[in-house]
Formats: sequence, structure tokens, C-alpha cells
Amino acid sequence: MLVYTVRRLLGAVPVLVLASILTFVLIDVSGDPLADLRLQQPPPDPSVIQLQEERLYLDRSMAERYWLWVTGIGGNGDIGLLQGEFGPSTQSTTYDIGANIAERLGVTLRLVGAAMVLAFGLAVLTGVVSAMRQYSKVDYTLTFIGFLALAMPTFWFAGIMQSAGVGFNELVGTQVFATIGDGTYQAQGQDLWGRITNAFAYMTLPTIVLMLTTFASWSRYQRTSMLEVLNSDYVRLARAKGLPERVVIRRHALRTALIPLTTVTAVGMAAIIDGTVLTERVFQWRGLGEFFIAAVDSNDSYALMAWLMLSGTTVIVANLIADLLYGVLDPRIRYE
Amino acid sequence: MTVTTSAGGAGTDPVRPDDEAVLEVTDLSVDFTSEDGPLRAVRGVSYTLRRGEALGIVGESGSGKSVASMAVMGLLPKNARVSGSAKVLGREVLGLPDSEISKVRGERIAMIFQDPLTSLNPVYTVGYQIAEAVLAHRRVGRARAHERALELLRLVGIPHPEQRVKQYPHELSGGMRQRVVIAIAMANDPDVIVADEPTTALDVTVQAQVLEALNAARRETGAALVLITHDLGVVAGHVDRVAVMYGGRVVESGPVQEVFHSPRMPYTLGLLGSLPRLDGDRATRLTPIRGTPPALNAMPAGCAFAPRCPMARDRCRDEEPALSATDAPGHTAACHYSGELDGVGPADLFGDGTAAAGRERTRATGAPVLTVNDLVKNFPIRSKGLLRRKVGEVQAVSGISLELRERETLALVGESGCGKSTTARMLLRLIERSSGEIVYRGQPLHDLSPRRMRPLRHELQIVFQDPFASLDPRMTVADLVGEPLRIHGERAGRARERAGDLLDLVGLDPAHGSRYPHEFSGGQRQRIGIARALALQPKVLVLDEPVSALDVSVQAGVINLLEDLQEELGLSYLFVSHDLSVVRHIADRVAVMYLGRIVETGPTERLFREPTHPYTQALVSAIPLPDPVRERERERILVTGDVPSPADPPSGCRFRTRCPKFAHGLSEGERTRCVEEPPELLDRGSGHRDACHYSEAVELL
Repeated sequence: MLVYTVRRLLGAVPVLVLASILTFVLIDVSGDPLADLRLQQPPPDPSVIQLQEERLYLDRSMAERYWLWVTGIGGNGDIGLLQGEFGPSTQSTTYDIGANIAERLGVTLRLVGAAMVLAFGLAVLTGVVSAMRQYSKVDYTLTFIGFLALAMPTFWFAGIMQSAGVGFNELVGTQVFATIGDGTYQAQGQDLWGRITNAFAYMTLPTIVLMLTTFASWSRYQRTSMLEVLNSDYVRLARAKGLPERVVIRRHALRTALIPLTTVTAVGMAAIIDGTVLTERVFQWRGLGEFFIAAVDSNDSYALMAWLMLSGTTVIVANLIADLLYGVLDPRIRYE
Repeated sequence: MTVTTSAGGAGTDPVRPDDEAVLEVTDLSVDFTSEDGPLRAVRGVSYTLRRGEALGIVGESGSGKSVASMAVMGLLPKNARVSGSAKVLGREVLGLPDSEISKVRGERIAMIFQDPLTSLNPVYTVGYQIAEAVLAHRRVGRARAHERALELLRLVGIPHPEQRVKQYPHELSGGMRQRVVIAIAMANDPDVIVADEPTTALDVTVQAQVLEALNAARRETGAALVLITHDLGVVAGHVDRVAVMYGGRVVESGPVQEVFHSPRMPYTLGLLGSLPRLDGDRATRLTPIRGTPPALNAMPAGCAFAPRCPMARDRCRDEEPALSATDAPGHTAACHYSGELDGVGPADLFGDGTAAAGRERTRATGAPVLTVNDLVKNFPIRSKGLLRRKVGEVQAVSGISLELRERETLALVGESGCGKSTTARMLLRLIERSSGEIVYRGQPLHDLSPRRMRPLRHELQIVFQDPFASLDPRMTVADLVGEPLRIHGERAGRARERAGDLLDLVGLDPAHGSRYPHEFSGGQRQRIGIARALALQPKVLVLDEPVSALDVSVQAGVINLLEDLQEELGLSYLFVSHDLSVVRHIADRVAVMYLGRIVETGPTERLFREPTHPYTQALVSAIPLPDPVRERERERILVTGDVPSPADPPSGCRFRTRCPKFAHGLSEGERTRCVEEPPELLDRGSGHRDACHYSEAVELL
């Protein structure tokens, strides 16, 4: 297992290199970070533009810039992925991309983590109930809810939840749900209880939105895999042994039926992190989504590259986790 | 490695029955709700099983034999409606709530299922799964349950149980997994063991081992046995009484000798007649039962067998006969005219007149059409990493030579994984060979380009095992049969016309050409497959297990068809099969394969009468005879263990690790030769060759 993990990590290196080339080239050719400056009326002094070009290393060739971006050799100390520097930003000279992205990642993970845990739990529960009561009213109701959740556009549903939150607040006459912001600022200086209520107020609504779409597809997944296992010979043999029904379900059906969902969850992690953009936008969380939008708005190529590299790395790591989890959960898979 | 050479060992009953009824089933019926209306799977089945008794339930697929037993166990899906009564030790079990029935399952009745590969949970060790069965009913500690698991594994004959107990199911072979399931069944000393086709998925030599384990389980627990199977040979050797099921009902039951020797229901007689027998006369034509079993949603009004019964009269079509006593004690049959069957043989009732005359076996040894020299196929084993380096080889076929002559049937037999199907496919270049020569009528096939090979495909055709998977479900039958013609440049209209003729040739109605494969039964589909293979008027037909997937009564019809076609069209057959009874019936010459090598080959009659290679001897002796008396008196040569991995075959003689002769009949010096020197295939006279250093003819039949 250890050997396998090391080998997989080594195998990830060329993939990461390829990802970095793709990321760099795609963003580098897609636009000029100084386009806005050049088009300014009245035109700025050429020396200003030249200064900016030097600051953003635009005076060098693309190949040189790529090398610089990865290694940081020959730069001003603000660039070089291998040195933990992500490059200068167009947004301001003091804007540190690395520090910013780390902070935003923390905010997003808070949202995604809670939503994923909830989605997973709910998906397993409803999936199992649906499978055990296949074609019953419960199953049909859960199926309907699932497809409804899948069909609802996130931005629309987020908007609805937001208005509902506002409406609820008005109804009870006090602010139970916060509908704008991530609450980081409000939590400062509060005691533990204050932090908990604060987190509840700010997190509930966006978590529900983010959870619902994910939960819906996972629940369908769990239902299918549970149905398959329930009809398997070994579950029949477990019953024939004389095990009580709930032991059969928990020990023989659920344990095996969880394996595929676990890996789907791990693989899906990257997609969910990227997919929070819409939810964050509606609830105005200063997370990765907002970081991404700000970077696009201000032609901030190095910030965009940082965001893409983070996504790519998450995909690779998530896949590795999925593979390793599979090896732990299913004894038939052994990595040499 | 041990060998049991015992007279009647496998057949004798390990337990003496007494009169107490342990399982009493009365008027059991099972209906399934389905979109096509209710399916009547079981209709009024009654039987009594006494303590220690072994009851065989025989029937073809869809006869309700498995469903009836699952109903007793309460293991049917929710859309099943069960009525009637089933009493275990006098206590009603039908309709019990889960908390009650789970106390009966495993403790009073235990069950063994057909497919050992899927019966065990892949994520728990076998020890855990056996211990779990113990803990379900006994208040003992985990350590004690684990000890018991070990003890049970030993009882069912698993070597090195201390290691096996910690292994996961996928690390065990099919035969071993089935023995684990048997160990689970006997864990709580049940009163009844229900075994549902326990050996159907296994090879014959492994089947013999598993049946032995089942006997051990009964000796140990004193349990009564319900053995559900389609295999009349297995029933003949292992039960006291037999019940024959057809269309959801028991149509005949009685002591096993009675039923086999003087059946009183035409269906039973028909079954016995459609079975190719290892101890029968090879020249006798099989007598298939015409037609197919009834659909469960459209049962005939009268006797369910009436539409296929040559004896049927108006009364049979109107009135369903009750299961009633015959002239023999304990023997019942559901036939209005059972009295008329006294002294009637299968050929008298089901034969078409030609049967009695027998087949003329005039086999002039023709010129060789297909010759194979030193054919080898290695499949590379690749590493799991990014580079997928080659880390080893599976030697599927290691240097075999064959010669198929004109108008001859050459059978290639062996157990699963011996390389017989790979060989067959290599001959047609469906798989590329690693080395060796394939020559068709003087022309080497092995290095022809695909374009040059195409015209020769006219001459060489194949019929596959699975009649369901080998026909495209979206093509009509006429299109399927005509497709080879169109591929080889025939006009569509002409192809369609020929398709009609071909369907007629294989005994199907040409008017059905516009239907789709799913509208046909298994036997009919296999006929469609044969018609398709014949479309290009080939000279050689490779038949890859052509009848293995078919029920006995249908299989006989297909075998007869193949024989007729050979006669009529002058075909040469390469018949690949694991079923020695069928092979003995149809083949002129036989080649026995083991782990990629031919170990013995020769004329059929001689090879079966006095096989010289220990492996062939074991194979022949493992085939159960459908004759209760002879089956129980036979001398047996049992092999132990499983076939070694072809990725790492034993040195010298590949069979030595399982060879009874190697283990018990040879001196130390003689054994060294087996270990060091691979035996050559040597002629022992009149075309009979074997690859054994110490070959010796043994008469087994």
C-alpha cells in the first residue's frame, strides 16, 4: 500500500507538469492583463505601461515566462510555484495571490465540508430506504424529491432560499438566518457560543443549497448500488444463515453497497469545490468562487493560473484518495 | 493430496432415515405478480422429508424446483405470493415474522446455493462468515466461534484450514468456496439441508469433491437433504427418493430406483431418453422431447405436459391429472395413463422410428482437412503501473497438435481453463496464435493476412455456447442467418431466400424469419446459430460448447440435428465440450486437454472403455451415471485439489500435483521422472495416444 501510494504520487508529477503547461498556455494566450491600461483615455504614459509590463514579466517570451512562473529563477521574488509564490497580481501591487487563495480556500472548504458531510449522510439514508422499499410510496416520494433537486438551477434555488430566509427573519422578528456574507468578520471576538450561533446563521442556507444538488445524485447512486447488493446471492445466504434482517442489511448489504459511493464522493470533491461559485456569489461569500470571478474581472492571469492549478491538484489528490479508499474498503483490490 | 478408491463410497447413504417427519410441505403454491399477469411458478407441491432422508427434486429450468424451496425458507422476493403449508419439525414456518423465521433458518434448515462465486460476501473473510453463522444461533464467544469455523473447514475437506480461515472469498477457488458454503450450512447441526444445484457451476472432478463434502456434512449433522438439480446422474447417486417437477408441479415421485427403472410419467421417461449416457450404447439415437416447457403465465388447462406428450389424449388436455399411487409401493405419478407405461422405453414413446434402427457408423477415415502443429498461445500478464510492463505469461495453450479429418467429429474435452476454447478460436484466427501452424487442406492459415483469410472463412464457421448472447437482439432471424451471405457479397433478396431454406434445414419454420431472437427458446436460438454457421456452406464447423446452456430435453434435439447435418452435408466438426457424456455420444475421436496440453487422444470407443491417462480416468469416473444401481456400485478414482494456475504450471508432467497415481502408485525414483521430464504424447496402438510416463489402461465402465 505504501509503495503503491508513493508510486501514485510519483506518477502524479508528470500529470501536474502537463497541467501546469496547459494552464499557463491557455491563460497566457487568452488575453492581455494590461488591456485595460492600454485602452485608457487619455492614454497613459508609455513609461507607466513599460513599468507594468516589467512588473508582470510581460516583457519576456512565453517560454521564459513559463519557466519563471514554475521555478521563480530570475524573478523579483514574487513568482515561482516551486518557491510557493504565485506571481504578481494586476489587482494591486500589494495583492498577494498565495495568501489570498489560501484564505479563500478555507472559507470554501468550510461550506463544502459541511455540505458534503450532510449530503453523504442524507444520500446514504434515503438511498437505503428507497432501495429497501423499492416501488413503495416512500421510494416514489424520495425519487421525486431527488429529481426535483437535480432539476433546480443552483442560482435560482439559492435565490429562493435567500428570500425564504429573509421572510423567516421578518416573520419571527429577529435575524435567525444571515443571508449575506460568510460571517468571518462577525465571528471575530465572540465567545464559543457566539461563534456557534454565528456559524449557524451564516452557514445554514448556503449549505442547504450546496448540499441538495449533490445529495440528489448521490442518493440515486446509493439506491442503485443498494438494490444490486440486496438482490445478491450473499445477502440471500446471510438471511439463510438465520441472521436477523437488520444485521443482514447493516453488515452485509450496506457495508458492501457503500464502497462505490465512497469513491464517487472522493472523486466528486474537486467538482464540488469548483461548483460553489454560484452559491458563493448569491450569498456573497468571499470564497474561492469570488476569488475566481475577481481574477477574471481584472484580467489577473497569475491569479487565474493559481486557481486552475489548485483545481487540477485537487482532482489528482481526490482521485488518489478514491483509489486508496477503494483498496481499504474492498479486499479484492490490493495494490502491489 | 489423497485418493479415495472405494466401491460405492460416494453412493451409500451416510445417514439412516427414520420415520419422524422433519419437513412437511403441503399444497405449496407460489405466484409472482408481473407485468404479463401472474406467473404460477409452483402449483400445489406436497412432500414429506423424514429425518436423515435424502430427497432429490429434479426438473428443468422454470419447473419451480428452486422457487418451492426458497418459499419454505422465506427467501422469495416481495412480489411472491405463497400459500399452503410448510412445517419444520411440526411447526408451521410459512408467514412467520422475520424474528421467528430467522431462528429457523440456519438452525433447523440450512441452504446451499448454486453459484459459489457469488454466495459469499467479498468483504469479509471466510472464517468470519462461518463464525457469523455460529454466532447467529449459539451463545458462544468469538474465539469459540472461530475455533468452530476452523473445525468446520477441516470437516468439509479444505486443506490448510488455519490459513484459509483468514482469507477472503476471492482468494479461494470455486470448489473451495462451495465447501465453505457447505461449512456454513452445517454450522448449527441443522435438521434439513437444502442444496439448490450445489455443483452445477463446478467442473466434474470438483463436483465429485463437493458432493463428498456434502456427504460429510450429512454424516456429521445427521441432517436430511433436499437436493435440487437438473442432473439425473447426481440424483441417481445421492438420494433415497426423487420427485420430478414439471410446470410447477410434482409429476412423479418415488424411491430413486423405482423412478429411474420404471418411470410412470411420460415426462420422466422422456428425460431419461434424452440423456446421452456414459454407459449407454453410442449408436442409439437420443430421443428428445418435442416442444418446450409451458410458459408460467399461460399454463395449459389439462396436464401441463400434454402439448409435448406423444400419449396425450383429449382427457389429458382437459383434466389435470392428480399425483396418485401406481402399482409400486411409494411410487406416485401424475398421469391419467401411467399404467400403460409398464415396460415402455423412451424410444418406444418418443422415438421417430429411426431410433430403434440405430445409427450407421460408417466412418471411412477421410483425408485431413484441418491440421494443427505445435500450437501455442501465451497471454501476457502486465503490471498494474503506468508502464504496464510484461511481468509474466499465462500459458493458455502450450504446444498442441490435432488433426481433423473429413466427415469426422473430433472432440476437445477438458475442464474450465484448460485452453480448449482458446484453441478452437485460434483455429479460426479469432484469436491470434503465439506460435505454431494451422493448415487447412494444405494451405497454411496462420500467416494469412485478414484479406486473404476472408475467402477461407466460407469454409470454417463457428457456433457459440450461449444462444442468448450470440444473436444480436435487434436483428430479425432472417437477417441474422442471411448476414454471412451479405458480408460475402450475396444480394439481400437472395440472402433472405437462403435464410428461409437454412431455417427449414435446422428444423425451424421459415415463416418465422421475420421474428426477433427473444421470441425463441434457448434450443431454438441455438438452431438459429447453427443455421447462421451453415449459411456459407462450410466444410468445417467449430462447435464451442453448443449444448451446455440447454436443458436436457432440448439438448437431445440439438445433438440429433448436428448428427443429421453432418451426415447430410458431409461436415467435419471440432466439438469443444466439458460434458463427457455428450462427447462420448457424438464424437469419433477425442482429445483430452489439461492445463494447455493434450494428455490423451484416441478413438472415442476405446478412450472411454480403457482410458490410460490418470486424468482421463479421473474425468470418466467423476461423471455421475443416471442409474441408481450402477452409480452406487462404481469404482471411483477421485482427484483432490484444484487445477493449478496456468501462469505457473507444475514442472514436468502438469497433472502430477493432482495425480492419484503420482501420489500413491509410484516409487520415489519414478516420481522424479514425473517432476523433471514432461511426458510426450506417445502412441499406445491403433491411434490411441497418451502423455503419461506410467500409463496403464483401466476399465471404468
